[in-house]
Amino acid sequence: MYKLIEFIRRIYVVLLFILIEAIALNYYAHSSFYTRAKILAHANSLTGAFQQSIFSLRHYFTLRSENEMLAARVAELENTLSFYRERETQQQTDTLTMVAMDSTLLASMSQYRYMTARVISNTVNSTQNFITINRGRQHGVMGDMAVVTPDGAMVGSVVECSERYSVVMPVLHTSFRTSGKIAGDEHFGSISWDGTSPHRVQMSELTKYSDFEIGAEVVSSGLSHIFPEGIRIGYVEERTENENHTSFDVEIRLAADMTRLSNVILIENTSYNEISELENSERLKTL
Amino acid sequence: MQKYILYAAAFLVLVLLQIFLLDNISLGLYFHPLIYTAFIIMLPLDLEHVWVMLLSTLMGLMIDLLTGMGGLNVVASTAIGFMRPMLLNTAVGHNTATDDTMPALHRLQAKNLVWYIILMVLAHSVIYFLLETMSLSNIHHTLLRLVVSDVVSVVMIWYLVKLFTEKIFIK
Repeated sequence: MYKLIEFIRRIYVVLLFILIEAIALNYYAHSSFYTRAKILAHANSLTGAFQQSIFSLRHYFTLRSENEMLAARVAELENTLSFYRERETQQQTDTLTMVAMDSTLLASMSQYRYMTARVISNTVNSTQNFITINRGRQHGVMGDMAVVTPDGAMVGSVVECSERYSVVMPVLHTSFRTSGKIAGDEHFGSISWDGTSPHRVQMSELTKYSDFEIGAEVVSSGLSHIFPEGIRIGYVEERTENENHTSFDVEIRLAADMTRLSNVILIENTSYNEISELENSERLKTL
Repeated sequence: MQKYILYAAAFLVLVLLQIFLLDNISLGLYFHPLIYTAFIIMLPLDLEHVWVMLLSTLMGLMIDLLTGMGGLNVVASTAIGFMRPMLLNTAVGHNTATDDTMPALHRLQAKNLVWYIILMVLAHSVIYFLLETMSLSNIHHTLLRLVVSDVVSVVMIWYLVKLFTEKIFIK
């Protein structure tokens, strides 16, 4: 007995080491991006204010380019607006049937709701990056909202929210998946990131019947319900056939510069819950 | 007593530097210096093995909680806390480390200190980056990340250790 105690006393550091490593490894192996985002969301309610002040300092350095981008965006929206104004006046003069359409009906018809947010923490130096933004549950942010740059390029989707902050899983996370297609073409492929360059993502399983050039624009397909159809993802940089010669693997240059994000736009699909409820219904599972 | 406060301050400063400064520098995937290991490196050399390891675990846990890495930092930093005596012996050589009645960082020769920092940083980042990617498929990428990040880490930790031992401790 004495010998046993003596033995344990000699090697207890090793035992303790093995114990700690076993617990930590086990936890790491079983943690998904979701549990990590959850921890991060909790930590943000502590460190968020500090993160925010640091990021607003950084923000000054990107103000100039951001202003230019916003000005361009405003111009583009003005164009669209004038187009609709013209249509409206045309309709008013043409017919009287549209009178009944009041504003509440119009609001309920739009499937997407938009909101702006400021990035307060963003990493690109990991293979499992997360972004933290300064909008949370009290501002109406929910999980599975789409996140895009002010000029409409895909950034990621919201995973977890606290009261005032939210954690976004960006395209630059090896667990991120969405569906994309070549603009103007209905064939779609699966978008993911291989964890190497922060400026490139990959699209796989794009059918060989799809016809496109290098440099073609890649947009979201709308099949994931998180992203509205037509959100810009990037541009085709390289395409190769996969080993079975059945589909294309496409290398995409990201439209969003993930290394210098500062303002983002959140898009909520107001029908998301209804659609996912329908798709996950018991009846469909039994089929 | 003063020593404890100094170490607590070093702990806090390193956590803040890592989380709020270094992790916010977006220079791409290859630039990922992990300087919080400086804390484990500059713990008193005569501190008991088990305490070195437990404090390393605490440091890793802190970083994990704040970055949401889910245990990765605990694994890597506990490992180097455990390996520290061996790495120190490798870097310094048996005689210098044990013959001295009270071994201390600032008594190490510059060459030995650099070797010690390099070994610690390398051991830590090998575990960290390999576990993070969890595959050997992009091994050349991982290696490049390791080399770039480690060079930056070693230089930064060298200055931090110098600052801590020379400017603060000897006074």
